[in-house]
This record gives sequence, structure tokens and C-alpha cells, in this order.
Amino acid sequence: MEARETIVKLLNQSSLILFAFVFLTFGILADSFLTLQNVRNILIQSSSLGIAATGMTLVLLTAGVDLSLGSIMFVAVAVSGKLLFNDYSLAISIFAALAVGFLLGMLNGLMIVRFRIVAFIATLAMLFAARGFGLWFTNTRAMNMPDEVTQLGATHLLGVPVPILALVGIAGLTQAFLAFTPWGRQLYALGVDPNAARKAGIRVDLILWTVYSVCGGCAAMGGLVALSQTGAVSPSFGSQREFAAIAAAVLGGTSLFGGRGTVFPGTILGAILFQTIENGLVIMNADPYLYPMVVSIIIFLAVLLDTVRNSVVNQLRRRHIRVQLDASQD
Amino acid sequence: MQTNSLLELSQISKGFFGIPVLEQVTLSVAPGQSLGLVGENGAGKSTLMNILGGNIQPDSGSMNWTGSAYRPHWPRDAEAAGIAFIHQELNLFPNLNVAENIFLADFPCRGFWIRRLEMFRRTKELLGQVGLAVSPQTPVVNLTAGEKQLVEIAKALHRQPKLLILDEPTTSLSEREIVHLFKVLRALQQQGMAMIYISHVLQHVQQLCSTVAVLRDGSIVGHGPVEHFSPGQLVALMVGRELEQHFPRIEHQPTDRLLLRAEALSQPGVIENVSLAVHEHEVIGIAGLMGSGRTEMARILFGLDSCSSGRVSVYRAGEMIEITKLPVSKRVQVGMALLTESRRDDGLCMSASIDENLGVVAGARFTVRGVLNKSLLRSSINRTREAVRLTPTASGRQAVRTLSGGNQQKVVLAKWLLNEPRILILDEPTRGIDVGAKFEIYRLIDELACKGAGIIIISSEIEELIGTCDRIIVMRKGEITNSFDRSHFDREAILNAALHSIEQVPA
Amino acid sequence: MVSRFVHSGYLTLLLCGVYCLAVGTWVPGFFTLENAHNVLLALLPLLVVATGQTVVLMTAGIDLSVTSIIAITSVIGAQLITSDGGPLAENWLATPIAAIAMLCLGVGLGLANGICVAVLKMPAFIATLTSMMFLSGLAIWWTQSEQIYNLPRSFLSIGNQLGSVLLITILLTGSVHFLINRTLFGMRLRAVGHNPLAARTSGVPVSKTIVWAYVLSGFTAALASVLITGQLETGSPVQWENNLLDIVGATVIGGTSLYGGRGSVIWTASGVLLLSLIDSSLNLLSLSHFTIMMIKGAVILLAALLDTLRYRVNEGNH
Repeated sequence: MEARETIVKLLNQSSLILFAFVFLTFGILADSFLTLQNVRNILIQSSSLGIAATGMTLVLLTAGVDLSLGSIMFVAVAVSGKLLFNDYSLAISIFAALAVGFLLGMLNGLMIVRFRIVAFIATLAMLFAARGFGLWFTNTRAMNMPDEVTQLGATHLLGVPVPILALVGIAGLTQAFLAFTPWGRQLYALGVDPNAARKAGIRVDLILWTVYSVCGGCAAMGGLVALSQTGAVSPSFGSQREFAAIAAAVLGGTSLFGGRGTVFPGTILGAILFQTIENGLVIMNADPYLYPMVVSIIIFLAVLLDTVRNSVVNQLRRRHIRVQLDASQD
Repeated sequence: MQTNSLLELSQISKGFFGIPVLEQVTLSVAPGQSLGLVGENGAGKSTLMNILGGNIQPDSGSMNWTGSAYRPHWPRDAEAAGIAFIHQELNLFPNLNVAENIFLADFPCRGFWIRRLEMFRRTKELLGQVGLAVSPQTPVVNLTAGEKQLVEIAKALHRQPKLLILDEPTTSLSEREIVHLFKVLRALQQQGMAMIYISHVLQHVQQLCSTVAVLRDGSIVGHGPVEHFSPGQLVALMVGRELEQHFPRIEHQPTDRLLLRAEALSQPGVIENVSLAVHEHEVIGIAGLMGSGRTEMARILFGLDSCSSGRVSVYRAGEMIEITKLPVSKRVQVGMALLTESRRDDGLCMSASIDENLGVVAGARFTVRGVLNKSLLRSSINRTREAVRLTPTASGRQAVRTLSGGNQQKVVLAKWLLNEPRILILDEPTRGIDVGAKFEIYRLIDELACKGAGIIIISSEIEELIGTCDRIIVMRKGEITNSFDRSHFDREAILNAALHSIEQVPA
Repeated sequence: MVSRFVHSGYLTLLLCGVYCLAVGTWVPGFFTLENAHNVLLALLPLLVVATGQTVVLMTAGIDLSVTSIIAITSVIGAQLITSDGGPLAENWLATPIAAIAMLCLGVGLGLANGICVAVLKMPAFIATLTSMMFLSGLAIWWTQSEQIYNLPRSFLSIGNQLGSVLLITILLTGSVHFLINRTLFGMRLRAVGHNPLAARTSGVPVSKTIVWAYVLSGFTAALASVLITGQLETGSPVQWENNLLDIVGATVIGGTSLYGGRGSVIWTASGVLLLSLIDSSLNLLSLSHFTIMMIKGAVILLAALLDTLRYRVNEGNH
């Protein structure tokens, strides 16, 4: 029993251990890795993923998944790009992108909550449908954004770059909602056992619906932040970011089995870790074709650890009949 | 009885699929009174509580709550009325803390935000009432079983109920925790809380309750102040029915040939030093309360769960071979069979057809080089269907889900019979099935024993064990405590041994 | 009555007929021999992969890695035999060796998937999703995103002649149909999909059964890869990348349940037929690739919806 509990404790800390390991490895392998400038870059680069992964964390906490995140990112950003081209103001196009993301997320929620389609199938269909729509909408052409977009990305407020502010704002707010509102606490309950949660009087469907909608909104916001850094919408924009988001969340200690994980520090740490690995690969001049393989190995390991942890915990929870005898008996 | 009752049930009746479960139950609880409700498993206690809680509706009869008619349709109706339940299985979320579990459905809020300080303050008060000295911020996963039980009570108290219904609250508690729980419950009684306390442990009922009601076969057979009943009288009332002649005459005679031997099986926290021998033509009964380790022992014997020490061996082709490490699939091949406690969970594929369910165990016997001999399988299936007298109107392609409980149980039995098992373990084989089907199952058990099989029957109905077994073993807290031979069968002695009443029965 | 009809595997075939009649009358060139030939040639490899997918879905799992197994086996097989420097170029046994190597690779990858799902107990969709990512990344890295041309004629003829494709497909689907309906394995497959706990209690080796299902899926993906690589005359690391939803979708539209336990090769064949008909008519209407993508997304959703409906009717939930 003792050994098992120690294993659980270790597994709970696996993301921190990984983090230290990755930092040290790259620090030793590449001199320019541990410079202040590079660390700053990593933070800025992580912000888009961090925001998207925040939404993914909410979904994973309910034991669901959103595979359409990358496609929603693409559609939302394409819509705002089109608006900017047609001389709408920056504010309106940002708002429109968020609205589109939210709406597509709601559509996911509709399929999952109302029609009870398994989450991964519903969002897999959305992955294809939304990307098809986006490609049609952009005529498969890359759009270069006006300079004001990239300027926004490079702006500093109170000495902090705007992308980082956005990340801190969204992740902080979400974490506050998770920790300090009935919605958040009930979310954790329903992730463990939706039926028990329903019996306890929690409005499970409503919460699920908001979760998928917010995830869509976060995807859009993550897309906007990425756009403010790259300044262009290509037809592959956001492609496979859902995997990165799942990886960030799971690396940060969120369980695929629901009910366990945090946005801050968990997912944010996971996103930074993920970006650090990509950054390290760039600095080491690794073959860019290697990235997807490295990423999938990371996801695999993270999910494997999560699975092992889950089964160990389930074994610990097995009902015990024989109660430890204590001194007071007879 | 009392004119100013808090809760009055009159003439409540309820049946499932034509089998009466409750018949004309009339009961009342006065404000501040504690009623102990006792009865064997299947006597109707849980149905009665489900009716009170609004989970199911009675077929006839009426209920009165604080003087007006009470007809709950949902659990929340009961909650709104002021009736709180503490179930045997705890409904806490392990990933939330104590305070959050208590306030999960109605957090104190300001705007969006939970008023955490307020919540913690009120949680502290509630925890104080139940005498639990843990921080409101402790995650529930870190609590012991007894502490969780107290949190459940605090959760119930938070709704300020007038009546607290406790269903077997002590099953997973240690003695010290039970002592503490009772202290808390007595304090609540002194504050005027009414209670219905359901338990198998008669001492507990006598310590805690002012009145007691005995339920047997869906009717109240005894009701009055607790001082009027000795434990012996209560046991007599619980089992009091005449042994009806619904057991087939036992035709088999055990021999000395050993079929299954378990030696000193132990699994920490589950069973301890369990040894058992089953002989040819022998039917062994296992008596014990739910949670006494009987089902767990069966699962370990069958290889579904692991054990940390001990050996299991079976007789095969002239010698005993050890099977302790073999997986279930191999144990099935050496002739073991297990009819599980719950048909729905791990007995049947409910949405699959009857034939699919029947073929799955014995499929290998009808296979030549991987190819199924369908016609041979079909004729065997039809023969076995007739042997267990499965309803002839059901087509083999019909989903098992559409059958009655009795017929479902016959399907489980038939799928094992097709494999011609030598050692059959039956866990609650007659739970929730009608009298006719029960008789068929007893007849089949006897037939199998006649053919030479060794059989273990686990049952909460002692009468059933007495009617069908050659030997009865009693389990308590994961250990085998008593063993009775057929010549020494005595209902009260067995029940006493299982309930751990004051008078210890010599083994 | 309605529920019985929704349940039957013939619903999809009927839909096919209705669709043909409705579309054929106003889409020019739908009812031509050429179109039938094209539809068939495109449909058969899809049927081959979908057959493997059917077996996996019957265990209540899913194999999302099939398209990348097709891609990786395609490039490895092509690299072995291309006359642009393949080690087996000009070898008279090149074609059979390449085909067998591809099939073995497919089986090995299926085995790895199966172990992740059945032994390591990872959720099927995420386990196969990561292997999809890894394998497609591997295929692209291995070839540096280059296509491989100049394959020997004998290899191409496996995949681009209707006769041989038809023969291979019929052999495969026939044997899998037999496997599902007439063998112990098929019986255990269904039991595992319906209720793994009950299956285990009944002495079914649950993990082994699941592993075999994924192995079969890997095998069919590799077999399809042989056909597709021949048909397209190239080994490509993005071979069939966009056909994942078609494979899962066709299987589910046919009536095989995502919830496990129910499945049939014949159902899957009719699902594949329906999807291919839709595909072909959309192509004839010269709709854009993206419109087709969107329509397919919608069709898959409808299939999943239908499946959920069937499941709930069957389980007696409201």
C-alpha cells in the first residue's frame, strides 16, 4: 500500500520532473538555450498554446475531448482576417473571431449534450467540417495581415508583452472560476461521475455546454494571439494544435479520465514545457520533420503516465472489508 | 400509534413484475423518535426506503408527513420535505474537499464567487456537530471510511432535516469509529432529530433505537418498543416463516473425492486465511452479510481478483493441479464456473442476443481449428435451453435485456452448463427472481450435484442454503468463522453467527 | 416497426438505391460504365480498410491510425522497389517481397496499437491518435516529404486493375465475414464489445481478443496501402491522409456501432458504397474539395447520430 501511494505521489509530480529534465537537457545540449532572451521568447511563444490548452483543460476535466480545436482556431482567425481586409476595425474583427469560436464550440456542445454523440466523434467531425469551411472561406489562399496586427502582438503594457498578458488574464480568470465558483467545483464533480453529479442536483448538461463553448472561445483567442505573432493565415493554420493542447494539458497533470487537473499552474506549465521542447528542437537545428514525431512521443508518454496513475488510484480505491482493528476493540 | 406522527405510512404495497415486495406496510415515526428497521436481505427494507425517498412510487397505500399527504416523485421532493438519507454506499466526490462536498448543490455565493470563508465557517459548525476534527479544506480522498461517513451525516444535517434515514451505516467502520458515530447520533437524538436506522447488527439497533420494526417478506411482523424484544426474539421474527416445501428433495450424496481445495487464501483488506474444500457431489453454502467477503472470496477462487498468499487447486485427470496463478480463461477450461452476483454488470451482455450469450463460454468446445460448428452448438443450446426450462417463447436472437430476471438468470446458468463444469460457484443465484424460477434453479443445482459436480452457493437467504446445501460455512469480516453440517442446520444459529450477535455459536 | 427498420443493416443499402435514383437523374455522367468503374476502383480499397475498422469498432474501440499506417507502409514499400535506387529494383521477386513487407509492417503496427489499448489500457482513441501522429510524422520525415515514383509495373498491376483489386477485396472481406460469423474469435469479439466484464467472467481472453482486432486492422490498412499505392502509382507519405473520416464514417453508417458488440462486413460494404456514391456524385458536380470535406463531416455526424439513436433504442433509454 505504502509503495503504491508513493508511486501515485511521484506520478502526480511527473510534469515537474519532466520539466526539470527537459530544461537541463536542452541547457546542456545548446548554449543559447538558457539565455534570458530565449526564455522570454519561449514564454511569448507559449501564450497561444497556453490559451488554447486552457479551454482543452476544461473539456478534459469533464472527461471529454475537443479534437476540433485547431480547426476552430483556423476558422475564427480566417473570419477576423477577412474582416480586417475589408477595413473593419481591429476591435470588431477580434470580437467576431471570438464569437465564431464560441459559436462553433456551442455547436460541439449541442452534438454532445443534446444528441449525446460521443465527444471524440462529434469533435472529429467538426475538425473536418470546420477546416473544410475555412478553406472554402479563404479560397485556400494565405492572407497576410496588416501591420497593426503584428504591432499589437509586439506591444508591451506595463512592460509585459500583450500575448503574455492575454495568457495570464485568461488562464488566471479560468483558474479562478474553476477554484472559486460553484460552476468550477461542480465541473470537477461531474468529471468524476456524471451520474452521481446529476443525482446530487448538479445541472450537468448546462455545465458541459458552457465548457465546450468556452473551449471554442479559447481556441479562437489562442488563434488570434498566434496570428499577432505570425501575421499571416495559411491554409494549415492551427492544424494539429488540438494535439499540442491535449499534450500541454496532460503534461500539466490534467487527467484524460476527468475530474483532475488545474489550468494554473498545471496546464500553463505544460504549455511552456511543450513550447520549450519545440524551441529546443529549433535551437538545436533539428530536422523540422522530426517535430510531429517528438510531439507524439511526448503525448504518448504523458497519456501513458496518466493511464498508469489512474489504474493505480483505482486499485487503491478498491473497497476494503476488513477494517484495521484498533486498540479500543473489545 | 402516536396521533402527532412525523411520518406515517399506511398500507403501502409494491410489487415488481408481479412479485410482491411490500405488502400493506404500516409504520409511523414520531418527532424525535428513533425507529430501528431490521429484516433479512430481500425483506423489502430498501424498497421501502426507495419509496420514502421518491425513487420509486408505491402501487397502493398512502404516506403522511407532518400531518399532510406526502407523495414524493423525485429524490429532491424528499429532500425539500426534510428527509435525509445516508446510504450504505457513500456519495462523495473524492477530488473535492469536505466543505465542497457538503455544499456541492447550493454553495453560498456572492455574485459568481463562492463565499469560501462563510462556507468553511458553516462546514466547521457542521463538522463540530458530528464531532469530526478535520479541516474543511481536507480533500475527501484523504479521509478514512468512518470520517467519510461523518461527512455524509454533516452533508445531510446541512439541509436541516427532520428525519434522518441511515442504511447500514456501520458496514465499513472500525469499532472505534462505530462508537464515535453512535455518540454523534445520540447527540442528534437528544436535539430532537427523528431517525430510521436500518441495520443487520441487532446490538446496534438495541443501543440506538427506542422502537423497532421487523420486516419479513414485505410485511411488518413485529413492531414495538425496543425493550420488548430480545435479540433472540428478533432473529426468530426475522426468519420466522415456516420452511415452505419449495425445495426439491436432495438426491445427491457427497463423496470423499476432492474437487477444489483452497488453502489459507489471504488478500490484505479483503479476506484472511480462508481455507475451503469442495468434494464430488457436494453442495456448500456460504452465509454471511453483504460485505463479509463472500463475493470477494468467490472472485479470488475464480481468478477475477488476485490474492497475496494461499493456494487454489482443482482435481483434474486423476490429480490435484494448482491453479492459483491461472487466468480466468484457463480456469474455465479446467471446469470452473462462476455465476456472478450481478447479472447486469458482469453476468450477461444485456444487449446481445440469447444465443450469443449462451455460446460464449462453451464456444471453444464446439470449435474445430477455430471454426465454429454452428449446427452442433445450436442443438446443444436448444438442449440446454430445455434443461433449464428457459421460456420457449423467446427466440434465440432476442436480446437478453428483454427477458424477465428469472429467465436472465437461467441464461447465465445455461451458458455455464453448456461447458459441463465440475466446480460451480453461484453468487446469489436466486436474487430478484420469481418463485417458479427459483425452484427450477434449486432443481438444477441438485441435478448437477447428482452428476458429480461440486457446488458453492453464496446466499443471503439462510433458508435457501438450508434447503439446498450439505454444509454451510459462515463468513464474517473476510474470515470463515463457523461451519455447520447438514445434521446441525439451525436457522437461528446460522443467522446469529452471521450477525455476530451476543451469544457466540460454538463452531 | 420504425426501430426494427433503423436497426436493420439494409437501411443503408436502401439509402444507396434511393440516392442513386435521385442523383442519377440529374447528375450527368452518373449512370455511365466509366463512372461505375471509377466508383468501384475507389471504393474497394476503402472497403478493405473499413473491414478492419469494423472489427475494431466491434470491440468498442477505434483505430484512428489506419490512414498513417497506409502512408508509412506505402512509402516503405515503394522505397524498396522504386527504380530510383530501391534496393530491390530489378529483382524479379521485388513485388511479392514488397507486398509482404508492407503487410508485415501493418501487422506489427497494429500489434503495437493493440498492446497500448488492451495491455496498457490507454483509451483507444488517444492511443491510436498518437500513433497516427507519430507514423505520419515518421513517413514524412523518412521521405523528407517526397513522393516516390517509378514503381515496377508488376506491383502497380495489383492495384490498378479492377480484376485483381476485386479479387483481393472479395477474398479479404469474405474471410473477415467468415471470421466474424463462423469462428470462436468472432463470438468473443462480440462479447468483448458488448460487455468486457461479462466476457472476462465467461472465460474470454479479453486482452488477446482486443489485440488481435487491432492487428487485423493494421493488416487491412497495409493491404489497402498495397492497392492504393498501385492505383496512384506513387508511394506518398500523405497517402489517404484525408480519408480517415470516410473509413470510420462508412463503417458507422453501415450500422456497426461505436459502442461495440454490433458489426458486419456486409453492413460496412453498404456503408462504403453509400459514401462512395456521395463522393462520386459530388465530384461529378465538380464541387470544390472543401465543400466535399464539409458535406462529409456532416454525413459522419449523421451516422454517429443514427448510431447513438440505435444504441439508445436498443438500451431502452429515452
